[in-house]
Amino acid sequence: MKLAYYPGCVARSTGREYEISTLAVCRALGVELEEIDDWNCCGATHVSNEIVSTALAARNLVRTELPVMASCSICYSRLRAAMIRLKDRKVRERVNEALEVKYEGEKDVEHVIETITKSLGEAEDLEDLVVRPLAGLKAAPYYGCLLTRPGGGIDSPENPSILENLIRTLGAEPTDFRLKMKCCCGPIFMPEEEAAAETLIRILRNAKESGADFVVALCPLCHLMLDANQPLLEKKFGEKIDLPILYVTQMAGLALGLGAEELGLEMNSVSTRSVLEKLEAAEGEGAEKELC
Amino acid sequence: MRIGVYVCHCGLNIAGVLEPSSLTEFAKTLPDVEVARDLQFTCSDTGQETIKEDIVEHKLDSVVVAACSPRLHEPTFRRVISEAGLNPFMLEMANIREQCSWVHMDEPPQAQEKAKDLIRMAVAKAALLNPLQGETMPVSRGVLIVGGGVAGIQAALDLADSGLHVYLVERKPTIGGYMALLTDVFPTNDCSICVLAPKMTDVYNHPLITLMTYAEILNIEGSVGRFTVSGVKKARFVDEKLCKGCINECAGVCPVEVPDEYEFGLGKRKAIYMPIPQSVPLIACVDPEACIGCGLCSEACPVDAVKYDQRQEEFRFDVGAIIVATGWQSFDPARKEEYGYGRFRDVITGLQVERLLNAAGPTGGEVVRPSTGEVAKSVAFLQCVGSRDETVGNQYCSRVCCMYALKNAPLIKEKYPDAEVSIHYIDLRAGGEGYEEFYMRAQRLGVNFIRGRVSEVEKVDGHLRVNYEDTLLGGFRSKPYDLVVLSAGLEANKEADVIGNLLGLSKRPDRFFEIAHPKMRPVEAHIDGVFIAGCASGPKEIQVSIAQGEAAAAKSMRLLLRGELTLDPVVAMVDTEKCIGCKLCVETCPSKAISVDKTALVDEAACKGCGTCAAACPVDAIDMRLFSDEQILAQVRAATAVKGQYPFIVGFLCNWCSYAGADLAGTSRIQYPTNMRAIRVMCAGRVDPAFVIEALKGGADGVLISGCRLGECHYSKGNYQAYQRVQVLRGVLEKVGINPGRVKIVWCAASEGEILAKEVRTFVRELKEMGPVGTELRVLGVPEPPGGDR
Repeated sequence: MKLAYYPGCVARSTGREYEISTLAVCRALGVELEEIDDWNCCGATHVSNEIVSTALAARNLVRTELPVMASCSICYSRLRAAMIRLKDRKVRERVNEALEVKYEGEKDVEHVIETITKSLGEAEDLEDLVVRPLAGLKAAPYYGCLLTRPGGGIDSPENPSILENLIRTLGAEPTDFRLKMKCCCGPIFMPEEEAAAETLIRILRNAKESGADFVVALCPLCHLMLDANQPLLEKKFGEKIDLPILYVTQMAGLALGLGAEELGLEMNSVSTRSVLEKLEAAEGEGAEKELC
Repeated sequence: MRIGVYVCHCGLNIAGVLEPSSLTEFAKTLPDVEVARDLQFTCSDTGQETIKEDIVEHKLDSVVVAACSPRLHEPTFRRVISEAGLNPFMLEMANIREQCSWVHMDEPPQAQEKAKDLIRMAVAKAALLNPLQGETMPVSRGVLIVGGGVAGIQAALDLADSGLHVYLVERKPTIGGYMALLTDVFPTNDCSICVLAPKMTDVYNHPLITLMTYAEILNIEGSVGRFTVSGVKKARFVDEKLCKGCINECAGVCPVEVPDEYEFGLGKRKAIYMPIPQSVPLIACVDPEACIGCGLCSEACPVDAVKYDQRQEEFRFDVGAIIVATGWQSFDPARKEEYGYGRFRDVITGLQVERLLNAAGPTGGEVVRPSTGEVAKSVAFLQCVGSRDETVGNQYCSRVCCMYALKNAPLIKEKYPDAEVSIHYIDLRAGGEGYEEFYMRAQRLGVNFIRGRVSEVEKVDGHLRVNYEDTLLGGFRSKPYDLVVLSAGLEANKEADVIGNLLGLSKRPDRFFEIAHPKMRPVEAHIDGVFIAGCASGPKEIQVSIAQGEAAAAKSMRLLLRGELTLDPVVAMVDTEKCIGCKLCVETCPSKAISVDKTALVDEAACKGCGTCAAACPVDAIDMRLFSDEQILAQVRAATAVKGQYPFIVGFLCNWCSYAGADLAGTSRIQYPTNMRAIRVMCAGRVDPAFVIEALKGGADGVLISGCRLGECHYSKGNYQAYQRVQVLRGVLEKVGINPGRVKIVWCAASEGEILAKEVRTFVRELKEMGPVGTELRVLGVPEPPGGDR
């Protein structure tokens, strides 16, 4: 399978570990990625101007014939939203005025979770790929807001299950995480820091109460809010959280047998050591059992 | 042809602007005119007598009355000439009052010229009139009612009591519809089944009602007065004649339990079951999907009524009219995923709470949490679930949900005074007799009213929480509840699509069946002889559904009680020699009156005479008996015979809206230029491009076509077809070098005299800028078309 890869700005800044693990996982799954040449902002920085934001997204889409894969949920959502808006003839004409290569017809855009789910689903023998099942690990599936929006995409916007299913496929157990759809407050963090902090601590507490060893994130902004912010939140609320936040690709990479370094795990703010230790312990147990 | 022309003074209404005596002298010069007179008041007894005497004395064949609008006095003068022995259709009126003297009061000379043209046009048409006979046809005195809910039941009883035979066909094993399943009903809190059951029994016992339950209609043929209906009665696997309805004997031993659809899934029923205790007919029914064929019920039945080998029975009967009372279905609240229906057991629907409150329901009238079986101490009603919500494709208000929540919340409060009951609403709509008082009563009883659409229902530690923005107090809030009731909206019944397709009923964008006019014809379908009652045409409360059942019954009686139908002779006819069987007319006809078997065939009983088919026919094989191609073309030629004014406009006005709008401009004395000569057609869709071309060829500088506003066509879609044809025609004109702006189509309602006047004014201005017809060809160096400079 060959896909066009749309990295998005975060891949080259605060979300480098997402890109590193995305590339590693796709390699392991045999998915060939071709980075879109001279890509630009997905349009998220200009959502207040529909035409500009649609045109920015469209310019990325017309630069390849291949189906496009994005790992950032914001980019993914913007590209999809643009495709929906571009069905309107007037919007399309307006946008095409600005484009060198005109946007025509329909495009395919997928999120990396779809790429992984599809590849595993099509695998003849799952055990050949999932060489290190995450048995014994409990993962809190955190969706954030944009993976499933606008509606009509990969899963229900209100109660999706694609991430739980992937967690199970990889051998781990999804926890009953009530706030899995709650906003990560990234967009309001600057103007409403207090409200954002209140919400974030609720989300983290709820994930911890659900019995999770770690949280799975699908979006670099969600990851930033839950991971990089965690020490600040711990200080502010005077409680220990210490909950690793793994990107979906990092989780999948572990199950595919990739090493911590290949997945950029050491780049996460909250240490992921507890996850690795638990995984090794479980493997040890499994090995012992096999020996007996 | 010997024609008499009568020019009316109408006191000074006409004579104050025009000169009737000189118009009379002018009429005498026209071909075929045998006698012409001007009369003070043509519609008076003296005027009428004069016409009658002339018809006899001068052996007249047809009569032209130049007076007021035909929409006012055409019936009068048709009667007058028929009293003198002429066929009533041998009349043509020239509208020199509403569309001439009253709208051109400041320009008498031009108005006089226009009046001459109008008379010349009327005489030209009168010379081509044919006597027409409205045939009478015997009709079946039976009526089919589809759907045995309260609307259908009421219609059936009214019709049968008036002596017509009713066939009531219901898909379910019992009649009664949703009303039979409700607890008390607003605004008086009567017990629903107590007021409905007697009517259900009356239906069963009425000698003139043939009740067919558990039955489906598979085919309907024919048209008004003579529909043939066929279908099947499904097998109940119980002998209807033997079953005593004791049910406990058979259902008591049946080992199979399935969710009970009559309890909306809250309770269970057996594979052999009685839908409700008051079922009509009171006959058990075996659910073939659930039955395992163990034979226990058959053994238990004291009268051996269970018959596993029963087959479905076919039926076929004739009726003169059909009442569609197919009702509604509930919005599926699981589609609003944020409310958790289907995920959280304590989130239920308004219909389910009806069953919980019902003493005969699954809990004996206790309002409990399904998850625990304990009585709910706090209950939230969430309004507008699936209504007024574009995210689920339902823009409309379901109209009854506010009232049923305002009923059920107090019922819970009365039963459990300590319970906390809240209604989360976005607007409360309590319009109706006694409704607002009902709302006040709920407030007095201590029901909380919280304004703001609920954002989500979540489950925290096994308890439901409702999150919402309180838009009155301001701020986001969260409230725990034991039970959440979703007031799910009403949707069009999908199962009624079969009937809709068989009859060719049209649907509104909200998917309910469309009625013939959204205001003036509330229970008539677009198809003659078909009526729609109750929620089939949109959400309605019980009392309105009953009123519609009664109205549909009255309409059916009016149609069928005399036993015969007089058909309007103003219909389409097919020249089978010319017809090529292309079926374009079949697609065009809004009344489904045309079928094709090698050549087209018009069902004259169904045809409403709009003439859209005649305009659409590519080989001119269809024509109208009145408003024929020949007659209209003669009017066009007469209009352009003397091009007395520049710019010169030929207008085509649809009878129902635009012609009436032009008349209104007259009665309102709205003044507009005298440049247009209007031709009345039944529908804008009647305007054949050939008429337009004839007008331009004759030297008209522009042609104005005016129809009903889009969406308001008397024949449903004729104006859209007119628009399409005009667009194509304009393209053709442009190709040959004629300015396409010379053909204009506008929309004008009967109430919009000012709009019609404005359109004429604008068009005159536009045409002045374009110059006389043909000037554009001169620029191109093309020889002028014949007659272009007359």
